Amino acid sequence: MNTDAIITVENLVKRYNGHTAVDGVSFEINRGEIFGLLGPNGAGKSTIISILCCLLEPTLGSVVIDGSDIRKNANNIKKIIGVVPQEISLYHTLTARENLVFYGKIYGLSGRALKTRVEALLDMVGLTERADDLLEGYSGGMKRRINIAAALLHEPRILYLDEPTTGVDPQSRRRIYDTIQDLNRQGMTVLLTTHQMEDAEKLCHRIAIVDKGKLIALDTQKGLLELVGESDLIHVQATEISPDPVELIKRMPDVQKVSLDEGNITIQLVRGRESLAGIIDILTSSGTRVESIYIKEPDLETLFLHLTGTSLRG
Amino acid sequence: MKFHIIAAKDLKIVMRDRNAILLLFLMPMIIISVAGLALGGLFEQNIQIGVLVVDLDNDDISKGLVEFLEDIDILDVDMESNEFAARDRVKNQEYGRLIIIPLGFTESVMTGQDTELLIITNPTEESQNTVLEKIVESYANRVSTNVVVIKTASAYGIPVYTEEQILEIVDTAEQFVQPPPVEVITESTTSNLSEYSPFAQSVPGFAVMFLLFTTVHIGSISLIKEQEAGTLRRLLTAPISRAEIIGGKIASTFLRGFVQLTVLMYFGHVVFGLDLGSDTLALLVLIAAITLASTGLGLMVAVLVNTEDQADSVSNLLILTMSALGGSWWPLYIEPQFMQDIAHFTITAWAMEGFYDLLYFDLGLAGIVKEVGMLVLMMIIFFGIAISRFKFE
Repeated sequence: MNTDAIITVENLVKRYNGHTAVDGVSFEINRGEIFGLLGPNGAGKSTIISILCCLLEPTLGSVVIDGSDIRKNANNIKKIIGVVPQEISLYHTLTARENLVFYGKIYGLSGRALKTRVEALLDMVGLTERADDLLEGYSGGMKRRINIAAALLHEPRILYLDEPTTGVDPQSRRRIYDTIQDLNRQGMTVLLTTHQMEDAEKLCHRIAIVDKGKLIALDTQKGLLELVGESDLIHVQATEISPDPVELIKRMPDVQKVSLDEGNITIQLVRGRESLAGIIDILTSSGTRVESIYIKEPDLETLFLHLTGTSLRG
Repeated sequence: MKFHIIAAKDLKIVMRDRNAILLLFLMPMIIISVAGLALGGLFEQNIQIGVLVVDLDNDDISKGLVEFLEDIDILDVDMESNEFAARDRVKNQEYGRLIIIPLGFTESVMTGQDTELLIITNPTEESQNTVLEKIVESYANRVSTNVVVIKTASAYGIPVYTEEQILEIVDTAEQFVQPPPVEVITESTTSNLSEYSPFAQSVPGFAVMFLLFTTVHIGSISLIKEQEAGTLRRLLTAPISRAEIIGGKIASTFLRGFVQLTVLMYFGHVVFGLDLGSDTLALLVLIAAITLASTGLGLMVAVLVNTEDQADSVSNLLILTMSALGGSWWPLYIEPQFMQDIAHFTITAWAMEGFYDLLYFDLGLAGIVKEVGMLVLMMIIFFGIAISRFKFE
């Protein structure tokens, strides 16, 4: 048993109406770690996080958080976790300060302690000057920052972030990354779910890759990329794609996997630059109109394609 | 307990919404004023309690009773000579009430013998029946004095021979009993009937309809918005129980509705002189019962539909149907009997009957027990269904 583990998930299964959303998932998250659950939409990440938030009861398996079993001590667990939902779960006709005061009271804060904490968090997310404006006048990025602040009022030991950068501009994304890294430096354990490679690559110490309810790989980014070897990834954006050229590309000697998703062809192969001319030739001679093509070094997306045969974006 | 934090937050959101304030107070006040002034005389002549009388005695005291009844403005007295025909007319719901004065009634009274007056009523019109019973009782109490005097005189061996002597003794006795040495304050004698005001219909009628908009329409949508925005889900990840969350939502809706209905009733009182009856506690109990039942209905609607649009459509349909059927727009008693029977499945009908009892008949707390009981029963059913079907996940 790992004594550093603050979250231990064993053989977790969740079934809804005959559909298995989570299928025998096991992992541990260490204290002070930023842990990512990476997978496409519908992979089961949100179901796992819902169980870890005590919103859903597991069908089978066990989850122990800081020594408490979620089936027996949900209320204790709720006191030590902070949850940042994917959607902006705030009241748009209240001000940022009123939202934070409301959630602070829900977590049992009051009086001077509540006031001090609210001011500190407004300062942390850089919104002190806009604190008394109604939230409905905020940009998406500003709302997301308050959405995170609302989860930190009670100084939780563990922070869950569900797709924290969905729909935000690059500047706000950078600010959210900084905030998460600052919190982690202060000792907070962070669990984030994302389907965005960049989130996982920039933030996570370890990454668990989830697909169709199963955990298919778990390691550091470096360790995961070693699974792919020397593979490159070629992305082709095209129109009027017929199945024939895709089949021809699959038969090329260095090609490992090909996935077709509407107007996007994703090809995993070794020595990508050497095969590029041949791929373009096959596509153009079959009448496919290539609009853009680019080659990428191995990354988590390459890994996902390697492991599942499908694109992470799909 | 943290339910008050959720309730306070909801109230703050409402108070900040100018449209919600308009819907809560200003719009109902305008509609009440317009409706009351425009339709003032329309229902006036209809505030009548129809009563059929069979006078089998046809003697001095029975005739006196008939004259007494005919002198009361709100009673519409009709005579029938055949007892069986009269019973049939009540059975067929042609009349709601029948008084049978038995043969020998006058003689019994004059000779100091016990006798009785029979009232047969249609149980669906309870408040009107209660008023008639009180009227007849007040007359019976007066003639009972005759019987008591004669019995007392006989018990002491004092001979009482002539009608004049009896009346003289009764007059003397009445001097001692008027005012009565032991005063019993009743709440539904004829003197307590309020002056008819068109606002006795329009104020509670439209106030109840707008209350339903607050509790059923806005109440259900508020809960669905909380689900759709993800704030309910976020609250569920915090150390607060599901009962506290639901309790907070119920409390805020109830408080809004209770304040709204109370303000609108007092608006009618202050601006249009509407008599709210003598029992303030009874009025507040009735308002609370109506608001609780409608809050329960709002919660049930929120639980049974899936989207805000569905809640909007379903609640509007329910509110407008209940208002038309239950007597918000016109008095319940002008509807055909079968519609009145159907109307009693609605909150509005029981609310309006409760208001008639208090505002017009001034029956006090005892007079609205049945209406409050039915509203509380509806509340239990609505909350029971809502809580058992509530989708937290």
